[in-house]
Amino acid sequence: MTNFKHIEENLKKEAKKLLEAGSVAVVLAYTEGMDEKHPQPFAAQSVADADKIIFNEYCNHNLARYIIRYAPGTKIALAVKAADSRAVVVLIQEEKIKREDLILLGIPADGMKNSKTDEIIDAKTTGGLANPVIYDILLGEEIHTGKPVSPYTVLEQYEKMDKDARFAFWKEQFDKCIRCYACRKACPMCYCDPCFIDQSKPRWAVKSPQSHGNLMYHLTRFQHLAGRCIDCGECTRACPVDIPLYLFHKFVAKECEEMFQQAAGMKIDDKPVMVDFRVEDSDKILE
Amino acid sequence: MSNNPYIPMPVKIDKIINEVDTNDIKTFRLTFLNKEDEEKFKYLPGQFSELSIYGKGESPIGIASSPTEPGYVEFTVQRAGAIVPGLVTASLHDLDEGAQIGLRGPLGKSWPIEFLEKKNIVVVGGGFAFTTLRSLINYMLHKDNRSRFGEITVVYGARNPGLLLYKEELAAWENRDDIKTIITVDKGNDTWKGREGFVPAVCKDVAPSPQNAVAVICGPPVMIKFTLPVFYDLKFAKENILTSLEMRMKCGIGKCGRCNVGSKYVCNDGPVFSMAELEELPRDF
Amino acid sequence: MSDSALKKIAIDKINDLAAALMQKGTLIAPVREEKGSNFREIKNPQDIYLDYDNTLLSPKNIFFPQMEDFVNYQLGKDATPAKPVELNLKPAFLFGVRPCDVRSFAIMDTHFYAVGIIDPYWKARRDATTIIGYAFDLSKPADPADFYNTLGIGAADPEGSDIFMVKKDKELLLKGITPQGEALLNGLTMLAAGNAADEKYFTEYVKKGKEPRTRMMCLDDKTIAKKYEQIFENTEYWTRMADGCLSCGICTFVCPTCYCFDICDEDIFRQGARRRIWDACMFTDFTLEASGHNPRTKVYQRLRQKVCHKYSFSVRKYDVISCVGCGRCTRSCPVNIDIYSIVSEAMKA
Repeated sequence: MTNFKHIEENLKKEAKKLLEAGSVAVVLAYTEGMDEKHPQPFAAQSVADADKIIFNEYCNHNLARYIIRYAPGTKIALAVKAADSRAVVVLIQEEKIKREDLILLGIPADGMKNSKTDEIIDAKTTGGLANPVIYDILLGEEIHTGKPVSPYTVLEQYEKMDKDARFAFWKEQFDKCIRCYACRKACPMCYCDPCFIDQSKPRWAVKSPQSHGNLMYHLTRFQHLAGRCIDCGECTRACPVDIPLYLFHKFVAKECEEMFQQAAGMKIDDKPVMVDFRVEDSDKILE
Repeated sequence: MSNNPYIPMPVKIDKIINEVDTNDIKTFRLTFLNKEDEEKFKYLPGQFSELSIYGKGESPIGIASSPTEPGYVEFTVQRAGAIVPGLVTASLHDLDEGAQIGLRGPLGKSWPIEFLEKKNIVVVGGGFAFTTLRSLINYMLHKDNRSRFGEITVVYGARNPGLLLYKEELAAWENRDDIKTIITVDKGNDTWKGREGFVPAVCKDVAPSPQNAVAVICGPPVMIKFTLPVFYDLKFAKENILTSLEMRMKCGIGKCGRCNVGSKYVCNDGPVFSMAELEELPRDF
Repeated sequence: MSDSALKKIAIDKINDLAAALMQKGTLIAPVREEKGSNFREIKNPQDIYLDYDNTLLSPKNIFFPQMEDFVNYQLGKDATPAKPVELNLKPAFLFGVRPCDVRSFAIMDTHFYAVGIIDPYWKARRDATTIIGYAFDLSKPADPADFYNTLGIGAADPEGSDIFMVKKDKELLLKGITPQGEALLNGLTMLAAGNAADEKYFTEYVKKGKEPRTRMMCLDDKTIAKKYEQIFENTEYWTRMADGCLSCGICTFVCPTCYCFDICDEDIFRQGARRRIWDACMFTDFTLEASGHNPRTKVYQRLRQKVCHKYSFSVRKYDVISCVGCGRCTRSCPVNIDIYSIVSEAMKA
């Protein structure tokens, strides 16, 4: 079981050290919200701030989401769990940030919980990894217990549906959408400015919450995340109407992995699958 | 639901006047299709309306004609937005005379006519933002109204002579002795015989007296920025400097929240404000 | 017949009540959905779910739907003259609304109805609807995000409802609060008359509802309005509050008193509509002007607009804080931003 208290102490200690030395301008971590069960992402900018940092099983928000808010070149330290670290890798690959501007405080963690439902967050809605894929300082022991679970097991039922059933499934799900755009805002990979859905010329889809516009918004977003989604599950947890967005993202991620033998955000030196071309690449997509 | 403030009145484009060399600013003269709409449409200079094209949307535009010209309403419209494409204004520019569009209004507060009465009025305009000022000037110059106001001074500038709006009217005003008209361009051309210089500098040069005077200023943000200090230096009180805010407005009736600044809705509580009133608002526009 | 205004019905008999209301018009009540409940039009009385704390989405959409067509038209060759959409509303019964939400209707009335130009859609829907309020269950603790007590709202306040309901063991006690509510109650034959004990229970329940049970701080309208005017440019405070904010629109969409909307023309297969849809000051493009100028490019500026609108601007304009402490924004925020904490921090800023 992850020792959250131990990680919290280390996180505070490292944050304090970095801020004191002036090696970073900001440490992205968590602080207490309404109560312990509702922590908030937090930008610690002083030694005094570092004391307010907390870490517990509810600190699941992907902090990579906040990096692009800071001016290029800002030295940033951030707490990275497995999913956060994968998001950082994609951001580096896509040249949104530079590796040398980041100090990654790695957090191995399992048993993270969703503060709204108290459910354990596992491979059902995320990549299911326990250890960050890159880090500079590790704040706890790496976790190598338990047998690894495929993040794609959850797709079994979904894959049994035929094309029409899947369309019907998504149509019903998307009809619930109220277009609050929490999914794209919680997503560390959704950084376009402006987002295609906000463009007025051309206007890609209606902005009112109707079937056709909702479908256009979500399907386009799914496409934009093909080969880029690092399966943190934040979009799904952010959704106020419980659309299981993770299913589609996982489905596409699985296809990508089968076609290109590469999962998103695992190694900095990987080229993102959608911008890379190799002669031996699968032609499945053209079939 | 009679009197629904969200439903536009049908109007016809009676006449289109191409105002500038660049062909991107046109004046649209609109006439009402329903007599009762025309009778209801009572406005004063400084108010605006929502021009509406079904399939495109609505756009808030200041009224450029004066209520002293009955039978029609005029709007001078710039084909907008390199950055945010203006669907409505672009479509409007593509329409011909005779086309039918929609109109909601009049909306917002006018220039405070009663407050302006018996005072000397200094009108300062820059570029395209001269439309509701033209309405005000024509209103004040009307034979029934002229005696209600003191001296009228107009300083109007554009980047070059081709970009001056209402060229015939400007010439007519220059020939009148009951209005002092100073036209300036940032840079003239071969045929330009008038003044050259930026609006703030010209205002400084003209140096209108603050005595019993009100300055009414509209123009691009940069012109406003440099013109205001000139009037402060001339000892115009903040209550006596008026301007019209441009904010992204939608409903025009103080409901949709878009143009909210502090406790004010620009569409409803403005768009006309004095500098004294603006200072009370949070810096958020 | 008893002259007591109080009526009652066994909770397992509310199907009869629901059926009677459905006869008279549209019945809207909480129904259970995947992760909570929401107000929906009732097609089957069995769907009514009264054992809820509060709904996920606020009931504002009953009067202010997320999408409302003003005008319909056909584009292209076979274009038809634009036709204003007529509402043709049936009487509606909004059943089981918590007191904080009932209060939100009054705040929205001020904006849409009482001050300035009347919004005909809000008014028409409001006029057609009978509000049947429902006290919070005082035997259960309040949700930790709730803070309606801070806004002076009690868990069993009947004000603003036409009929107010209180749960008494396995019965619902119903009391007419307005003449309209009383008349409706008197016409519902499946209701039994309440007795003196019921009257006492009802009165005491309302009284007990005044006791603090949610988060509470001392909040004076004028003081907080002024405070926010003073700290409007305190960027340190605002960026600290907005550090984690994602700038999505959930908080405003679930909020019972957020009313910002967009008016737009949309069409599909040449069927066009001029319509309004909910908009949110938290969206990046909310204030983007045609010139490209955007006065609120930063997250903190947008969060500031939202908070100040509720706790300062609204006090100045309408003499009321436009928040009822229902806790929805806090509960639904993906990153646990809590407006109660934001306001209490402001007092210290």
